[in-house]
Amino acid sequence: MRIEVKELGFVYSPKSPFEKVALDDITFTVNEGDTLGIVGSTGSGKSTLCRHFNALIRVQRGEITVGEIRLHAKKVDLKTLRKNVGMLFQFPEYQLFADTVKKDVEFGPLNFGFSAEEADAAAREALELVGLDFDEVASKSPFELSGGQMRRAAIAGVLASRPSVLVLDEPTAGLDPRGKREILELVTALKAGVTGTVIIISHNMDEIAEFCNRVVVLENGKLLADTTPDELFNRSDIVERTELDYPHTVKIKRLLAEKGVFIDSSALNADELSAAIAGRFKA
Amino acid sequence: MKDISLGQFYPADSFTHKMDPRAKLVLVVAFIVMAFLAKNFLSYFAVMLCVISATLVSRIPILKVLKSIKAIIFILIFTGILNLLFYNGETVLWSWWQIKITVEGIIFSLKMVLRLVLLVMGTTLLTYTTTPTAITDGMESLMHPLKYIKVPVHDIAVIMSIALRFIPIISEEVDKIMMAQKARGAAFDNGGLLKRAKALLPVLIPLFVSAFRRADELALALDARCYNATPNRTRYKQMKFSLRDVLGVLGTAAFIVLVVALNNNFWGAYEPVASVWWLFSV
Repeated sequence: MRIEVKELGFVYSPKSPFEKVALDDITFTVNEGDTLGIVGSTGSGKSTLCRHFNALIRVQRGEITVGEIRLHAKKVDLKTLRKNVGMLFQFPEYQLFADTVKKDVEFGPLNFGFSAEEADAAAREALELVGLDFDEVASKSPFELSGGQMRRAAIAGVLASRPSVLVLDEPTAGLDPRGKREILELVTALKAGVTGTVIIISHNMDEIAEFCNRVVVLENGKLLADTTPDELFNRSDIVERTELDYPHTVKIKRLLAEKGVFIDSSALNADELSAAIAGRFKA
Repeated sequence: MKDISLGQFYPADSFTHKMDPRAKLVLVVAFIVMAFLAKNFLSYFAVMLCVISATLVSRIPILKVLKSIKAIIFILIFTGILNLLFYNGETVLWSWWQIKITVEGIIFSLKMVLRLVLLVMGTTLLTYTTTPTAITDGMESLMHPLKYIKVPVHDIAVIMSIALRFIPIISEEVDKIMMAQKARGAAFDNGGLLKRAKALLPVLIPLFVSAFRRADELALALDARCYNATPNRTRYKQMKFSLRDVLGVLGTAAFIVLVVALNNNFWGAYEPVASVWWLFSV
């Protein structure tokens, strides 16, 4: 699904002493099949922007079109929109509520009008997708699960509705390195099958570098750059101005260059870079 | 939900904002007494004048203060109508069965409504100009003498300030959880009462879970920093009684004197025009 954002603006608590401009004149497009990273420092408007995509925040100024749905119209078909745009919040495990994992995962599908059998099948599929054993966890209380399992169950709760766009707000926050890896690999696997378009908010540039084909940089509610990770990490002015970090691959390439070893590769993930380095020394 | 203005502090740089919270608390009590002292319309006008001048020195838009009345609109209507219908007056205008509307009843219910409006407006000024923390600190300091009869004043104050501190956090949490469930297709604003109540379960359960988690973490954090309420604690923000507070007290005292004077018609000031201003003497 294509998402078009045009001149979007948003102000919190307008006309009060607490007034705060969160978004200002944002225009960009997310194409079908993109994995888009949204980066920027805390308070730059990333979450506010993302909450627009499934109308959790209504458009104040500007336009957003998701697929065929115009979010700036007076009436928006929220059910269809939210079924199609799945959103995973930060620390999603804190939203689990039902008495069994299965009921929790089925909550979305049932709300979106799946029949009982369809919801059951969707829950089974989603739980297996996130790597939980359906027969083992389905009848457990979500509060009996371990932290990592809870997050997976919560992700399954979003995936079960089979969204065609998936919005992830810092999906790996608070996980150990292995947990992070697993979540991101899950996202990659999802892209191959279930969801066509993925939008990730992240502070971790390694994730952005490795998984995103496009990246949007926000600063104080303004769109600073709409580019590819490769180009972004070559623009030191933007990276330093917004206090973003470089991914490790870029850092390693620079350190090598300082020692006179130039790697002629735009590789941004570990495997490709190590192959490129190995190639350089073989030659 | 973001606009929830509990404690409804209104930031501004004004005379009243800078006053000592203790002085403000005492003055609010004095103000309440003043509002109850007022007998005739003229003294009510003095109370109103007091509210208006306090609002002006607080630099709070008068509309904001008037808005606070919205919260008690039903109480106002209820009080007004009850007093209007059941006041035992003499000059009957209209009567039916046990109910009669009298001139005295109209005047009395007008006064009651006016009193409530003034009370609410005056007391909201306290919460508009004083942060919840400052109010708690002020209360703790004022309740200090109760320590001698073994009232755990400090503990009460800590509980109060923690509760106040957590209101915005919990309200933000409600917001977040509601959004997350909405994203999964939950609808909170349609269906009957029972359906709506049931729809809130997916919000309430995670909310309670997280509230307990937070309470646990907070207790640990307090313990980890060896928190205890020893009597020798010092404060980061010292409260100081200043000239400003003296002025505030004097101003309020002046209004109280004015109200009492007008109540008793000390100067006979409005007698010459009593025929025109008869309303004020009733």
